[in-house]
Amino acid sequence: MTPFEILTPSTLQEAHSILVEKSGNASIFAGGTDMLGEIKQGTSSPGFIVNMGNLEGLRGIEERKGETAFGSMVTLSRIARDSDTAARSPGFVQAVESVATPQIRNAGTLGGNLCQRPRCWYYRSAAFDCLKKGGDTCFAVDGGNKYHAILGADRCHIVHPSDTAVALMALDAQVEIFGEGGLRRIPVAELFVGPGEDVLSETSLGVGDILTRVAIPHPGHGAGSIYLKAKERQAYDFALVSVGGYMEVVDGVVEEARIVLGGVAPVPYFSLAASDALHGVVAGHVDPTAIGKLAVEGAIPMSDNGYKVRLASNLVARAVRTLLDLPG
Amino acid sequence: MTTNIEKSVPRRDLPAKLTGEAKYAADIQLPGMLVGKILRSPHPHAKIVSVDTSRAESMNGVYAVVTPFDVPKGNIAPDLPILDTEVRFVGDEVAAVAAEDEDIAQEALSRIAVEYEALPFVTDMEKALEPDAPPVHEGGNLVGGDPITLERGNVSEGFAEADVILEDTFRTPSHSGAALEPRAAVASWEGYALTVWKSTRGAHADRLMLSIALGVDLENVRVIGVNMGAGYGNKDETRLSVLAAILARRAGRPVKIEATREEEFVAGRHRHATITTVKMGVKNDGTVTAVHATTIMDTGAYLSSGPGVVRRAGQGALYLYRCPNVRYDGHLTYTNTPSGGSYRALGAPQGHFALEIIADRAAEAVGMGPVEFRLKNHVGPEGQPGERITPRNEIMDTQPVEGGVPFSSNGLRECIEKGAEAFGWDEELPQTDDPIWRGKGMAIFIYRGGAGGRSIARMCLERDGVLRLESGVMDVGEGSYTVLTQIAAEALGIDYGVLQTTFGDSATTPDSPITAGSTVTFSAGLAVEKAGAGLRQKILAAGSDALGHPISELDLNDGGVIHTSGSSVSFAELASHTGGLVEEASVSPGSTDYIVNSFGAHFAEVEVNTDTGQVRVVRYVAAHDSGRILNPMLAVNQVEGGVSQMLGFTLSEEMLTDHNSGATLNANFLEHKSPTILEYPDIQVIFADVVDPVGPYGAKALGEPPSIGVAPAVANAIRDAVGIEVRDLPATPDRILDLLAEKEEAEDS
Repeated sequence: MTPFEILTPSTLQEAHSILVEKSGNASIFAGGTDMLGEIKQGTSSPGFIVNMGNLEGLRGIEERKGETAFGSMVTLSRIARDSDTAARSPGFVQAVESVATPQIRNAGTLGGNLCQRPRCWYYRSAAFDCLKKGGDTCFAVDGGNKYHAILGADRCHIVHPSDTAVALMALDAQVEIFGEGGLRRIPVAELFVGPGEDVLSETSLGVGDILTRVAIPHPGHGAGSIYLKAKERQAYDFALVSVGGYMEVVDGVVEEARIVLGGVAPVPYFSLAASDALHGVVAGHVDPTAIGKLAVEGAIPMSDNGYKVRLASNLVARAVRTLLDLPG
Repeated sequence: MTTNIEKSVPRRDLPAKLTGEAKYAADIQLPGMLVGKILRSPHPHAKIVSVDTSRAESMNGVYAVVTPFDVPKGNIAPDLPILDTEVRFVGDEVAAVAAEDEDIAQEALSRIAVEYEALPFVTDMEKALEPDAPPVHEGGNLVGGDPITLERGNVSEGFAEADVILEDTFRTPSHSGAALEPRAAVASWEGYALTVWKSTRGAHADRLMLSIALGVDLENVRVIGVNMGAGYGNKDETRLSVLAAILARRAGRPVKIEATREEEFVAGRHRHATITTVKMGVKNDGTVTAVHATTIMDTGAYLSSGPGVVRRAGQGALYLYRCPNVRYDGHLTYTNTPSGGSYRALGAPQGHFALEIIADRAAEAVGMGPVEFRLKNHVGPEGQPGERITPRNEIMDTQPVEGGVPFSSNGLRECIEKGAEAFGWDEELPQTDDPIWRGKGMAIFIYRGGAGGRSIARMCLERDGVLRLESGVMDVGEGSYTVLTQIAAEALGIDYGVLQTTFGDSATTPDSPITAGSTVTFSAGLAVEKAGAGLRQKILAAGSDALGHPISELDLNDGGVIHTSGSSVSFAELASHTGGLVEEASVSPGSTDYIVNSFGAHFAEVEVNTDTGQVRVVRYVAAHDSGRILNPMLAVNQVEGGVSQMLGFTLSEEMLTDHNSGATLNANFLEHKSPTILEYPDIQVIFADVVDPVGPYGAKALGEPPSIGVAPAVANAIRDAVGIEVRDLPATPDRILDLLAEKEEAEDS
């Protein structure tokens, strides 16, 4: 572990300035549950750690017109306890509650959960100089790839590790970012970038950018949301595959649908095909199995992860059945 | 006089462990102590051409460095030198440093320049056995040059008699015990005398190993076995304590080496990965006519206890079912992967996994139920058919091949019957809705019964009147200190609470074998019982002198010797009269007339989710014949622990190697998927009503047997639930989903 210096700014502007000044040699410290692990493993060795703990206003849950805004420093445990959120956006709270362990949820923040680094064992091991660390090989291609991507891989085959990201994309959330020129707002889907765009990062955040809030629109009429996560043990596990689903059913017709998959691609994977196939269909006529198959169209499994195709398809079908209250 | 046994007296180590007062090896702090760190190989197989330590040695705070080129010549095991100029797996020890603190030691490691000459390597056990495979050690990869072959009768004749023959091949993974406490040792020298505090399962065995490896007189080595944060059969076998001793010698200061979690996974010792083929012949009436098992076992880079483990993998095939014609072939092979070693029940879980799935299929093939088939065929009290070969005056091996020798006791039938009844085997399982499917499965097992090496125990009436038990065995977390104290108190005829005890320090206890092979209660217990009975006689004789009454009129109570008339003399007075009394007993445990074995039957109910491939064990019944149960609470703990541990082996845990680089991929608790408490079902534990005539107060082995039946019982239940054949462990969601897909394809075509 390399030594580092801790800096604790008291305003966003100050934090931004430090990050710009120490460009490339500073990391944001929110809950630290992922970052400290990275430093200990030698995957990351920042000279400066910018502690967000003293910044005002990032720890609240705020009701706004038509949306709820969550500060990026809100802990996952705090969200899990929020009964309004559970009632409005059950899929989001299910995702939050599925993260790791109670200890990690007590320390881990929403912002950190969205910005965490991938769990790929080649990326995490100091023994492999992989693409994501500036090397020129993805060792998963010919190696152990049980947990790797079946969709959207581009040279690097990581899967995005965040549970909340999947649920938030299904809920069409937006994120607010403080950076050069002040505050800006983008759809959460635009926060994530695949390896084809930037293999060294999983987010579109630039130097000095600080994720400050996540805004979830209030659900529409007849809305339901769900998050299903398949894992190998019931706690302390990342998703083998997960599904975030959102639907609005009005007068028995699916008016709005978004199906997002986790654990299958380098970014939370929005399935346009599955979502579109649900639009405008009478709920009782929906074939969940067919939707499940559409969701994994184009999957290219590797030697050890063919099971993910079936698993993702099954989970999507299960999510659709549950949201539409269909039998089977 | 049965006041101390069949009684759940609280563990002796409980107060210290609950209050945090208990010291583990890593807690030992000595003045001037340095931190030792080990440099490990990034190559799966390489020659070390040179090591340049100058940039490390010149650092402030670095006190000693050791490399293969300056290390004393000596071996920890026949194929394991203290350090070697050839490394054989990613993580193998290359060099070590001692420094003032961990950061300096770590930095020093990074400054050691090693020139390697990479050698061809092999990480797959089947490829390792091919003729042109790169040899991990000189002499080739098949240990001993030939497989071990054990046969009773003639299997060809047996298969010729069969109406149905079942055969299949099964794989089990390399599996880490993932002990809560990583390996640790502290070494300190005073002149020529070495003291080592260590997490160990054998203070005396480690003392001998250190003496031989370092070339130090045995009398100058002391090993203090501190509390152990679980061992599950290993924690010695590695280079860690020897390197600490050499660094401490060079530095002139005590040195502590504590493995990191990653080192514990990679450089510890694991359950051996296996590939086992079982072939079983049965007649239409269900009679087993032949069993032939073949196991390929991956010992990794070093031998450790591999030869014993590969032999044990065959015990079930050779002895679980009554059969005149059985055979076992065991191929132990080196690979360039982390080393296997002793792990709870050695090879028995791997062997039984294959055997007990085939037994279920055999039952089905002849139209019998799993319980019915086992009741018909399980080995009975009379043992196996055949002629005794062992001479009549020799102690019987506890895992023999020959027939013609009865068991000292055999409660297997009772285990099957009681277990099936408690489980409700004949009842319908509750209905579930798709995608959840329920199934039930069972498995039976046999295991050597606890007779280990020669055991010595000492009991004393000390000068101040204290009664003390001294034993060199280690409590590896299972509670043996408690049970041995119960036996000692019972033999002496006093209450458990009166005895003082000394355990696990090689300087103050008589020589003892390691805590291994489920032998402590049985073997050390027999020595303790004998020492206790002997000391009782000596105390009664002293009491007789003091009170002037014949021994026949005297008894012991918790204060001293009493006469039927009420007159008495205290232990303190007797100690003062006699100057103290000592009784040392030595026994070679076992029986010339009987095979001593433990038995059991396990029953599992599972839920398989066909959407996710997830298997949940929802109910578990474990019925055991381990003779008389000396401490029911500890015994239940032992069974629950063994079952829980092996549910991990069965459903989620495995060590994964990157076959291109030889690196371990998942040396951490996140990806080595040890189950959490949420994964465990309720476990109902049943003990057969058996009193063994050979064991101490009727006891037999219990430490390892609970781990044997878990995988096959669960695999059989999965088959019952969804009709798929689990051949490879662990039965993780990916494997279950792939098997379900295969099944669907087969049904479609």
